[in-house]
Amino acid sequence: MAMIETAGLRKVFRSVKRRPGITGAIAALFSREYEDKVAVDDVTMAVEGGELVGYLGPNGAGKSTTIKMLTGILVPTGGTIRVAGLVPHRRRLDNAQNIGVVFGQRSQLYWDLPLRESFSLLRSIYDVPRDRYLQNLNHFAEILDLERFMDTPVRQLSLGERMRGDFAAAMMHDPKIVYLDEPTIGLDVVAKEAIREFIAQVNRERGTTVVLTTHDLADVERLARRVILIDEGRIIFDGPLERLRNEYGTHRTLVITFAENYPEVKLEGAHIESREGNVVRLRFDRRRVSAEALIRQAMEQYEISDIAIIEPDIDTIVRRIYREGYQAAGERTTS
Amino acid sequence: MSGEFTRPRFRLAPYVEVAKTAMTLEATYRFDVFSSVASVLVRIYILRTVWVALYTHNAAPANLPLHSILTYSTIAMLMSLVMDIDQTRALHNSLHDGSIVTDFTKPISVPLYFFANGTGEVLFHALLILPALAFALLIVHIDVPSAATLVTFFISFALGYCVGFCINFILNCTAFWTLETSAVQMIVTWITDLAGGELIPLVLFPAALQQVLIFLPFAAMFSTPLLIYIGEITPSHYLEAIGFQVLWLAVLAGISAVIWRRGVRRLVVQGG
Repeated sequence: MAMIETAGLRKVFRSVKRRPGITGAIAALFSREYEDKVAVDDVTMAVEGGELVGYLGPNGAGKSTTIKMLTGILVPTGGTIRVAGLVPHRRRLDNAQNIGVVFGQRSQLYWDLPLRESFSLLRSIYDVPRDRYLQNLNHFAEILDLERFMDTPVRQLSLGERMRGDFAAAMMHDPKIVYLDEPTIGLDVVAKEAIREFIAQVNRERGTTVVLTTHDLADVERLARRVILIDEGRIIFDGPLERLRNEYGTHRTLVITFAENYPEVKLEGAHIESREGNVVRLRFDRRRVSAEALIRQAMEQYEISDIAIIEPDIDTIVRRIYREGYQAAGERTTS
Repeated sequence: MSGEFTRPRFRLAPYVEVAKTAMTLEATYRFDVFSSVASVLVRIYILRTVWVALYTHNAAPANLPLHSILTYSTIAMLMSLVMDIDQTRALHNSLHDGSIVTDFTKPISVPLYFFANGTGEVLFHALLILPALAFALLIVHIDVPSAATLVTFFISFALGYCVGFCINFILNCTAFWTLETSAVQMIVTWITDLAGGELIPLVLFPAALQQVLIFLPFAAMFSTPLLIYIGEITPSHYLEAIGFQVLWLAVLAGISAVIWRRGVRRLVVQGG
């Protein structure tokens, strides 16, 4: 059985429709109109134990709503859901024992107390055996370098230090699954790397299943082998990161610096994306023409001083899919 | 896999730990602690001055000689050290900043968690009563009733505390629906101060008003234990007075449970 299984998962929020102005507000006291907003429309997925999945989508796509249903905080409007064999909202307490959660924008640590005290409280809440707790504490303190600020009140920590503390807190009870919602938001490059290394290590060494929601696609490129893209409450892509790159990242950019300023540059199989003096950026579909053929062609016709090929990064690919829609983006590359 | 409806074994340890943490936390706000004791002592002194002045120029009301009223207002101020704490503020804050979501990802009962948290805070402030009392004795003399009366007073005080807890809990629960609750809470604090008999014993109010006020839950918070302490409620009426407190506690606990359930329903269905 998969660690996480959902079928036709759906969540509709009903809210009071607001009418403008004071008259509207007064009218609303007597008669209310409701508005249904579909946050998650139809999500079917299966995540195996030990997987590290990037769950991506633009703002309002339904990512957080899905995570909240998986943690048992929200009750689904429709569909089925099982996490480690349990229905989360029916067995909130049991489910809670199986999961760890890190929300990048809020902390579960006591603001006015040192990390050590928050950890000790969590030990009691999750009923972690003392030996295991000390083992975890030492291990996390070492790989996250916590020792230095373990006894400083959390409010005096930097964001990076606090996030490291939050990660240790989420892992202290050896959860089977961790949900990470924007775990690197607002962190500097060094802190981001430390967090990413920790996530990778936990997934690798402890076999913890990780569901990672992020806007920072560098997180995904560094960590996830599989991505699930969601838009308007529906899954639009589910597969290996490589496939996403192969199917949608078919265009490369060739950057040529010419030795002199040619008035007209023309290469078969590529079109000019931009031009700045001697530097010309050409876009080409690698399935139609190879970079090697293009370069040969260019060298036959022009005097060239430098050449570079830019691979599309996952960020560009995903942004294009959001902008143009999954099918549209797909059609264009296959046409 | 275990059956779908088995409940995990209840453990008290986490809640004890939560209460201890809350106590530690209160102790870190040292300035707050000193100023709350200082303000109680100042209020005891002011009330003493006012009552002495009033009694010097007026005839004492029946059954309420000066020493009784001074005892009453001093004990009331000491009680306020624990009664005036917004012990479920943490719930309000959690709803306000959305961290209630993380509270629900933990394997504990969320209302019990807030109860433990509030109790920890209150217990710490209860420790302050003794030193505050020691200082208060330098300002005023208070009557010490019989052991039986003292025991009854403490039972009544505990019940009054629970009534206050429910009122406070209900007020903070309104944050499920509306984000700003401070105005309502301020009004309720004023009402409690007056209608609960914290500042002026209800027996000094006009008879008609008294008849209304003694039936309100606020009287169950302050007035009942205090009137037991000064002997205005006699042993033959203890059962009646405490029964009335229990009744209010039951009603308010019921309302609390309903409001909590509705709030959580809103949270899990609406996402807050």
